[in-house]
Amino acid sequence: MEQEVSIEILRYDPQKDKEPNWQKYYIPVVKKNTVLGALQYIYENIDATLAFRYGCRFNRCGLCAVEINGRPRMACNTYLKDGMRVSPLTKLPLIKDLVIERNNIFNYLANHELYLSQNDETKSLIIKESEQGARLRSCMECLACLSACPQFFYGDQNFAGPYIFVKLAQLYFDPRNTNDRRKQAYLLGITRCQSCQTRCYCPNGIRIYEDAILSLA
Amino acid sequence: MDIYKCEVLCIGGGGGGVTAAITAAKCGADVILVSKEPLGYGDTRISMGLMSCPGIVKEDGVNVFLQDLLKSGEEINDKKLARIMAEKASDAVGVMENFGHLFNRDKKGIISSEVTYFSGGHSQPRTIECPPGGGIAIGNSLRAAAARSDIRVYEEVAVTKLLCNNGRVAGAVCYNIITGEISLICAKTTIIATGGAGWLYYPHTDCAAGVTGDGYALAYEVEAELIDMEQVQFIPFGLTYPPSMVGIYVGEPSLAAPAGVLRNNKGEVILEDVCKMNRAEVSKAMALEIKRGGGTENGGLLLDLTPNLSLEEGKRLWKARKNRGQLDIVRFAYGNKAFNWEEPWDVLPTAHYFMGGIKVDVFGRSNIPGLYATGQAMGGIHGANRLGSVSLAELFVFGVIAGDAAAKESKDVELPDLIPGSKEAVAELAQLRGQKGHHTPIQLHRRLQKVMWEKVGIAREEKEMRQALTDIEEIKIASESINIPTQTSYNQEVLHAIELRHMIVSAKLVTEAAVIRQETRGAHLRLDFPEKDDINWKKNIVLFKEKGELKIRVEAVNG
Repeated sequence: MEQEVSIEILRYDPQKDKEPNWQKYYIPVVKKNTVLGALQYIYENIDATLAFRYGCRFNRCGLCAVEINGRPRMACNTYLKDGMRVSPLTKLPLIKDLVIERNNIFNYLANHELYLSQNDETKSLIIKESEQGARLRSCMECLACLSACPQFFYGDQNFAGPYIFVKLAQLYFDPRNTNDRRKQAYLLGITRCQSCQTRCYCPNGIRIYEDAILSLA
Repeated sequence: MDIYKCEVLCIGGGGGGVTAAITAAKCGADVILVSKEPLGYGDTRISMGLMSCPGIVKEDGVNVFLQDLLKSGEEINDKKLARIMAEKASDAVGVMENFGHLFNRDKKGIISSEVTYFSGGHSQPRTIECPPGGGIAIGNSLRAAAARSDIRVYEEVAVTKLLCNNGRVAGAVCYNIITGEISLICAKTTIIATGGAGWLYYPHTDCAAGVTGDGYALAYEVEAELIDMEQVQFIPFGLTYPPSMVGIYVGEPSLAAPAGVLRNNKGEVILEDVCKMNRAEVSKAMALEIKRGGGTENGGLLLDLTPNLSLEEGKRLWKARKNRGQLDIVRFAYGNKAFNWEEPWDVLPTAHYFMGGIKVDVFGRSNIPGLYATGQAMGGIHGANRLGSVSLAELFVFGVIAGDAAAKESKDVELPDLIPGSKEAVAELAQLRGQKGHHTPIQLHRRLQKVMWEKVGIAREEKEMRQALTDIEEIKIASESINIPTQTSYNQEVLHAIELRHMIVSAKLVTEAAVIRQETRGAHLRLDFPEKDDINWKKNIVLFKEKGELKIRVEAVNG
């Protein structure tokens, strides 16, 4: 008999379910299979109503961030193991199954001016970027950090959360930046991070606390 | 149903679409941008972030770069477009950095020859980079710049059809993947920036999941012309397992470093000096060996980098790549020995880029009034083969051109009160959900992708491609009997049904062009016509729809 592993997925369809419920699926064993591989298998062979996002298939786009056994992870770079439980990122509005609201995040960027002010003369500029700044630029914008943050709650006007603080720190370290990003961070509640006992988490290894929070707070 | 009105509509949320949208807005146009993914999460983001910036070393310049482009394109490039590419490529750095991006600089803070290197096929060092995030950082900048700009952005919205009024493109029918709502956008001008169609070859592609040839199909259906659709670039080194990672990019020929060789399933060396060859040459050699039966159990060949470890330069390159994180994926898929180059590992060419695309003039205009294209969706710049690191520059050069031209044209155009055919198009899209039929859209995706990989892949011959055309027709018929549940929010099957339609059209365009070109040139390898035929085929293949039928015209190269 073909060997199988089981995986549980937290399913939710707002049109028919009162609340999310766990469902178990069996997947043929494949060497070095990933959680994304399992989701694709289910969608293609078992239940095409399963909703999940993915894009690049290995650690570049950030779209397949989910919680695996209660921790935010990228489905694409997590090896599949028997009995894993996969659920959507928490803290963000749930749309269906593993799909959370991402579109409002774009509005954050505009509302909080998370961009450099317009300057058409950057081409020939001599620019020295700090190593911290360069490291922060690899933020995949997967939003896993928001899911892992105990202080963050969607819609809370007083605390913007680690994703926004990383954005602010990217700008803070940018030699072309002209806004007071530390003041912005203060107004968006970064002081709360100072008393927080939980370590910030980034699946791509960005040192959110060291490089972003400590620089801004 | 919501109806939106704008002057310039940009379809696509990558480098080309965002640049065009921002440029058009700067020119004073009222702009809407729709993106099938969240903005900036597609192919631009997942790129390595390498960009051509000619003129950094003094031996380099516009003409030197232009000659490289034409040589690599095997003389079927649109020379006017290639010249613009060469002239303006160095401006692309400014456009991107203006968005918030930063390229690597030397210790003095300057983009100098110290931070510039050779990319395969270029005669001068002119490639700059932006580690550690590469394209991810560019994705961040695209989002920031779009947020700064005065454009309306609609994310996770797919365009299903373009609408015409008196022969002019005047709007688009849209499907919101999150809510299931259908909307209509009326636009004075429309810019297609949907990227390529690498997903036609899934899993043998390193493109993002949304790269399903939407723009080619949208343009074709309104009778726009497409050029050289047979020219599909396969990059030599993609993964062959595990299943969720097949086709993902691990490197181009330069990855092989000075001593890397390719071996077949018997361990015989089938290719030496891999690092000195271009993408098309290596992919061809690999495809031929695999056709001869030399493939491994995973369908690939073995990239043997072990000889590099006894060379100083080889060891240095291993370390540089390791530090850049380029080999992390090898460790994840194949283990530590492969990561350390201590054993050979499986590789297989993977669909990477479409040189062909919508035929445009020097302003990004197609032959259909009101319709523009930019980025990978447009064709002609690269001819039969694209050099590494040019496509990122292309987005920012031609994005500016199309955005500027579309904004200017919009000033002289009136929006119609009602676009003919819009009610029918909306009604037809609304019927998709809840359809009862025999197939799921994803099954038909997989059938089509298998046909394209096996019969219109790297090494092609007429008999197989004729069979592919029959297969594509059967899949098209099957696609009329699909099963889609009624759910509205994030109904992936509706999206896949929409993409399936676009993919069927794109697959047909690629295959028809590939049958017609009876020679081997650039990325197009014909087993039955293994030689280049300059007398008959130093020409472009133009595809278009006329009275409902696909027509083909072979014409002299432009410029």
